[in-house]
Amino acid sequence: MSAPTIDVVTVQTFADAKDAYRQKELRQALYDDGEVIMADVLVNLHGTEHRNRRRVENRSFRRDTFELYERELFPAVTEQTLAPYLRAGSVDLVHLGHELMLNLAALTAGVDRPQETAEETGRLYDYTMLFIEGATLAHSTLDKDERRVAIFAALEEWDREFLTPSIARRRAAIAQLAAGEIAEADLPKDVLTTLLRSEGELDLPHEVIRREVAFLLLAGAHTSATAFVRSIDHILSWVEAHPEDQPKVVGDRLFVQRCIHETVRLNPSSPVGQRWALADVTLKSGLHVPKGGKLVIDLAAVNRDPEVFGPTAEAFDPYRELPPGVGPFGLSFGGGMHVCIGQDLAGGVVPAEDVDPNVHLYGLVAGAVQRLFNAGVRRDPANPPQRDAATARPYWGTYPVLLGPAD
Amino acid sequence: MPYTVAVDKDVCISSGKCVADAPQAFQFDADELAEVVDPSGLSDADKLVIARNCPSGAISIRDDAGNALDVD
Repeated sequence: MSAPTIDVVTVQTFADAKDAYRQKELRQALYDDGEVIMADVLVNLHGTEHRNRRRVENRSFRRDTFELYERELFPAVTEQTLAPYLRAGSVDLVHLGHELMLNLAALTAGVDRPQETAEETGRLYDYTMLFIEGATLAHSTLDKDERRVAIFAALEEWDREFLTPSIARRRAAIAQLAAGEIAEADLPKDVLTTLLRSEGELDLPHEVIRREVAFLLLAGAHTSATAFVRSIDHILSWVEAHPEDQPKVVGDRLFVQRCIHETVRLNPSSPVGQRWALADVTLKSGLHVPKGGKLVIDLAAVNRDPEVFGPTAEAFDPYRELPPGVGPFGLSFGGGMHVCIGQDLAGGVVPAEDVDPNVHLYGLVAGAVQRLFNAGVRRDPANPPQRDAATARPYWGTYPVLLGPAD
Repeated sequence: MPYTVAVDKDVCISSGKCVADAPQAFQFDADELAEVVDPSGLSDADKLVIARNCPSGAISIRDDAGNALDVD
């Protein structure tokens, strides 16, 4: 007996995609193969359960928290991470991107590294790379069942080494706050703390907290790391063709932020969004998805829709002008109920026309990318970058660069 | 007459963008959902920008004739 046929409807225009993301009867479908990490995590929830979790987690994603991260915490972590590679004069951007963004994501997720050793960070890095693999199993070219077993084992090991002690420290701090021994400002400002303080509102079992924090770690590290590498790649090519913009790359962070947004538009972290139709859904354009059908949002096409991004939509252009209401990153951060919770943290706030550059939030990727250009980042002519063969997603596998003054 | 602003709390996901961008006009209610408090300091153009920035499409704008404006 053959399997039942599923109606698959693909969306390729910006207007349809934005409409689809806001439809309440369309449920997340992107992570069906990645349940080992993604079961019951925020982006996989729907309806009231999703709203309740999102409302709680949003407390860790407010503008004042971003200011603390961007102005105080992240610059220090960036310098610490970069220091050995500056001394060496070279680095693989793929590794650096993941190490740097992991360090930042660990702060925001609430995963401590009490030993503060390279070996400890290396273990957290290895776990995170497995979690990334788990969440993106849909696009894996490897044996998925075999990988699920390995990833679940890693999740349990990571829990014992990193998560359980991080939870214990936060529970102790929350108890101290309740006893009046510390002030509110002394509590860690991370999602794990927020989730633990929400007990009574959410009542999440340990296994769900485990997957949620693992997801935040991998999402924060992976999406920003890929944007970091791709942005540097695009900017290097742009400056080769437009050498007059070289001073902006090192001196104008608004320009760098525009480059990040343009990179993210052309390279969404996931090439597609997917939704299951919980009921018959008809978009404003008339496109119909029957109940039980799957909607595929072709983000590569959506973000190159010439009706929105113009006839040069395929090209990287940090000076692109957009119609009102269109984010410069297209729909790479999604939209509607599942819009990326870390969008402003990673990509910064979209600048208004009268933006004050002294108080503007540029996002952690712009800060990290500009730091690399200030360190003289350039391609290594002896080691050209290579694509990652272990996934159908268009990731860089290695991207060797040189740092420091050119000879 | 200036445009009117409303928040659909059934759609709001508490992203807080409106509250951060225009704290004089929006605040969180007891359920941490956005609500309009005093939009008189916002221009009509500001209202449209804030509505368009709402990721969930929870903010609607009407003109002086009561017509809903396209904020997509």
